[in-house]
Amino acid sequence: MTTLDSRTAAPVLNVRRRRRLRPVDVAQRTIGYVLIVLLALFCLVPFAWVVLSAVDADAGATVQIPAFSFDNFIRFFTASGTPLLLINSLVIAIASTALNLALGIAGGYALSRFAFPGRRLFMFGILLIRVIPAPATIVALYLIMVNLGLANTLHGLIIVQAVSGLPVTLWLMKGTVDAVPVELEEAAWTDGNTRLQAVRRIVLPLIGPGLGAAAMLMFMGSWGDFLTPLVMLQNQDLYPLAIGLFRAFSERNVIDWGLLAASAVIYVLPPAVLYMLVRKHLLKSSLGGALKG
Amino acid sequence: MTSLVDVPASAQTATRPSAPRRRRGQTLPFVLLLLGPSAVLILVFIVLPAVYGLWLSLTNTQLTGFAARDPKFVGLDNYTYLLTSADFLNSLGQTGTFLLFSAIIGQTVLGMVAAILLSRPWIRGKGFFGAAVLMPMVVPEVVASLTWASVLATSPEGTLNRVTNAFGGEPTAWLQTAPMLAIILVNIWRGLAFAMIMFQAALEDVPAELIEAARVDGARAVQVFRHVTLPLIRGPVFLYLLLTTISTVGVFGLVYFLTRGGPGGQTRIAAIYIYERALQFSQVGIGSAASIILLVIVLVLGAVYVRLAKVEV
Repeated sequence: MTTLDSRTAAPVLNVRRRRRLRPVDVAQRTIGYVLIVLLALFCLVPFAWVVLSAVDADAGATVQIPAFSFDNFIRFFTASGTPLLLINSLVIAIASTALNLALGIAGGYALSRFAFPGRRLFMFGILLIRVIPAPATIVALYLIMVNLGLANTLHGLIIVQAVSGLPVTLWLMKGTVDAVPVELEEAAWTDGNTRLQAVRRIVLPLIGPGLGAAAMLMFMGSWGDFLTPLVMLQNQDLYPLAIGLFRAFSERNVIDWGLLAASAVIYVLPPAVLYMLVRKHLLKSSLGGALKG
Repeated sequence: MTSLVDVPASAQTATRPSAPRRRRGQTLPFVLLLLGPSAVLILVFIVLPAVYGLWLSLTNTQLTGFAARDPKFVGLDNYTYLLTSADFLNSLGQTGTFLLFSAIIGQTVLGMVAAILLSRPWIRGKGFFGAAVLMPMVVPEVVASLTWASVLATSPEGTLNRVTNAFGGEPTAWLQTAPMLAIILVNIWRGLAFAMIMFQAALEDVPAELIEAARVDGARAVQVFRHVTLPLIRGPVFLYLLLTTISTVGVFGLVYFLTRGGPGGQTRIAAIYIYERALQFSQVGIGSAASIILLVIVLVLGAVYVRLAKVEV
């Protein structure tokens, strides 16, 4: 959508480029470039320390020319506690994403294909839920988890995170299934498929892009979450990277800056890789032509 | 925060009403089977905590100790305590300062500047600048905080101290001397991209002919923006203000990581106040009452935005 709109707008504005620039235009453009470069610097400069210190054998709290080595990364994977942080983070994020998508596909399909009383109410109800800031309900949620015996467990955290992303996933999946023509499914039924077979053979292959988007949002949400694991988990062996990094930063007297920076780089990588993969996949999305012929 | 963007988008694609294909007798078991689990889980883990929080706020529940076993109904005691407590009122004031300067002014203005600049046809390197602005939003909260711990470092080698030093400033312990300013700066940095994305989408919907017509009539760029563009994107701007208000009031990790509410409670925004009261001092009743007050404030602000936007939401 974005690209299309800017393309239609471009010819109109391009006419201006042909004319010779007035001094006012030159001044405007100079100011424009100065502003955007400053903004980009503001956004990027804070990352310099993480990147440089991760490959610095004697990293400190501030930016310096690194004594280049991969020592920090080797120490991350060989130290006693740190690999477990990464494993916990992966388990939590992957499991909560899988649970979230399974519930979201089933629920989204129901919301899209069946008209039932209260459907609109449900859709707007779960949209309204997002008005509640997370810190406002975390205390009551924690007590409920304690009563259910789910506090301080990985599966408890997984369920909480999967459900917290469910409103968005349900909306996304409903929209995605809506875009699959119901005629395709009906054709499959008349060919002798059951409803479930039709979903597996027709709907699932066609909702890939929406599924990818939902998966990415959920994974990044779960992977980056700090408040929920901070409140829910007390056992050090269950900590994900978010909490491990926080403790390493705030509760040690001597902070190992190099290890901290390397952990941060490792922490950023999985969502970054996922983003690249899914983005490529998203571009392939097209349901057009499914009804032709 | 990111996820909120997608809700309206998917709502738009969902315009085609799905035809009810089967009779209701056949439909209901299917719906219960498919949607039931989601509905129950949302009820238990999202709706119930909100309702239970309301109940807790009327009790003297504690995490540990005597009151943990036998909590009592205390009516509005927690609310009267909070609304006369200087600590809590300070905390609300800090939340207001944080919200006003970081989200409503900082993110909105800078996000609008970035969106407008990146919509100019003459700007080269749009991809690079866009990606640069996006970076702070996509990294996890803890990494974002960690990067700023280094920028704000006390020593003269701290990045911000180097910058101010170039302009003749003294090395400053930013998180001690100007903690509120520091976390406002960090939150602007983090939320700038979301504002930019929202405003870019809004600006694309402004017909180029209208802008051209105003320019031909001799209006300056600033006048065009003030009298043509801004009124046309009024709806999206207020929608953005609503979303950023919700997410800024919910900011916890970014501030807790850097200051833990200190020094001396100078950055104890409401989210941190709730966390400290309920989970560190184990006063669940008071923490829950603070949550409810915060929630009511967000709802009132939301209603005001919707009113000001004068658009159907």
